[in-house]
Amino acid sequence: MTRQLWLLLLLVAGCAKGPEADLQYIGEARSLGAEWALVNEQAAGGRLTSHYTATMRQNIREQLQTTRTSLTRPDSRYGAEIQALLEQPDNAAPAELRAHADRLKTIEDGLESA
Amino acid sequence: MNPLELTLGIMTAVGGFVDISELVFAAKAGSTFGYALIWVFAFATVGIMVFGEMSGRVAAVAKQPVFSLMRHRLGLKLGLVTLVASLVSTLITCAAEVGGMGLILHYLTGAPYLLMAVASTLVLMASMWILPFKWIERIYGLLGLLMIVFAAALVAIHPPWAKLAAGFVPQVPAGLSTKELLQFAYFAVAILSAVMFPYEAYFYSSGGIEEHWGPKDLLTNRVTTTVGFGLGSLLAIAILAGSAQLFGPANVGPEMPGTSALEAAIPFGRAGLLLALLGMLFAVAGAAVETCMANAYAIAQFFGWEWGRHKKPWEAPRFTLAWIVLFLLALLIVMTDVDVMSLVEYAVLFSIVVLPLTYLPLMLLADDKSFMGKYANKWLAKGLGWIYFAIVTAAAIAAVPLYLLTSGGQG
Repeated sequence: MTRQLWLLLLLVAGCAKGPEADLQYIGEARSLGAEWALVNEQAAGGRLTSHYTATMRQNIREQLQTTRTSLTRPDSRYGAEIQALLEQPDNAAPAELRAHADRLKTIEDGLESA
Repeated sequence: MNPLELTLGIMTAVGGFVDISELVFAAKAGSTFGYALIWVFAFATVGIMVFGEMSGRVAAVAKQPVFSLMRHRLGLKLGLVTLVASLVSTLITCAAEVGGMGLILHYLTGAPYLLMAVASTLVLMASMWILPFKWIERIYGLLGLLMIVFAAALVAIHPPWAKLAAGFVPQVPAGLSTKELLQFAYFAVAILSAVMFPYEAYFYSSGGIEEHWGPKDLLTNRVTTTVGFGLGSLLAIAILAGSAQLFGPANVGPEMPGTSALEAAIPFGRAGLLLALLGMLFAVAGAAVETCMANAYAIAQFFGWEWGRHKKPWEAPRFTLAWIVLFLLALLIVMTDVDVMSLVEYAVLFSIVVLPLTYLPLMLLADDKSFMGKYANKWLAKGLGWIYFAIVTAAAIAAVPLYLLTSGGQG
């Protein structure tokens, strides 16, 4: 019985494909985009050190890249949105980054309620 | 009871309370569920107060470390299972702390993360070799007090205090979907685990023996565990509340440990950022030392070796070799370039599974009148102990399914 329950859990956790499986990556990318906007906003106000700013931007970019490569449907609307985020320069305008994060949030909410 | 010693002990407990897992889960919990998980932090803090006090009392009265007593109480086989399980969970926790130090130094200096992880490990090993126990504990604990900047930042951003206070009342937010309920449950289990890490009991009780505690120190033990852990928990709650106020509305679900430092940068600028990062660095360094020593204590006590940092390193050679090897193993895990956030997740997951195995023998020992005499558990410690044991057991059973169903809390 316990063994069957474990197998079921592993199946549920591991076998989903498509937007449902990508939902966690969409959420991660939305959060990373919003974090990037927050970092750039504070950096523009001179409130962060240069090392911290550069490191956060680099880490965010690396994680976004990982998120994009983890998608089961990279050619989807959310895949394109994550790609658009990745194409932004390091010092992109916070409003621009936020707009991408907001669009990902809309997609995320839509998939969650579906 | 020396008032200066007591104050320093409390301050050390406050500064040493927060570790990388609490940092990560407090920020994530706040951004995802607002103030609704504050009560879990408060509840888990009472749990670590109960078991911390118990482990200190057993050490002071029996003058024997928990793991040595555990072996006699549980027998060799079950004792060995407990030892191996706790070694694995604490080693992963130690690796998460070492990785966390590397990351924070990376934010502070811009130098490569893995290089900073190596440098951190060498500094920690050198400090453990050179400094006596009391100073190792105090230096990292007291410098960890820089984390108070998070509490100051919270006051500066004027949170809705009434809502924040309401978060201390046990609750599950209304209107959550099944997926969100599972995520809420996962966060609750993770916070319980992060606050009640098993290594804390081993380290604390072994520390009592290092400092030659006796029955006269029982009041110090009680005050340190209640006041020190209680105030330390408030720092973690401040991080959660700051995240609820600043990150949640901005759609930020902190994906990196460094994001939390923004909570202090937003109201206080660069000074706030630096204080937050330094506070995090020393708090995490303290936790790295505690996890490594807890493991070395456990091995040495189980096998009956000479142990203790009150001895010169060469006077307890196998104990010394154990903590050196354990630090190197933790570094080796970090050098595989595994993500620190994943290490934090695994540390919390393994630890909650080990928690019942850790606290049951401790409670049986503290309950035993033939062993503890008049210092055995009274009704309050006994009652709370069994309630928390039942809860951590339920959490241990639920932890892995919740992890799988929520993709590690991602939903």
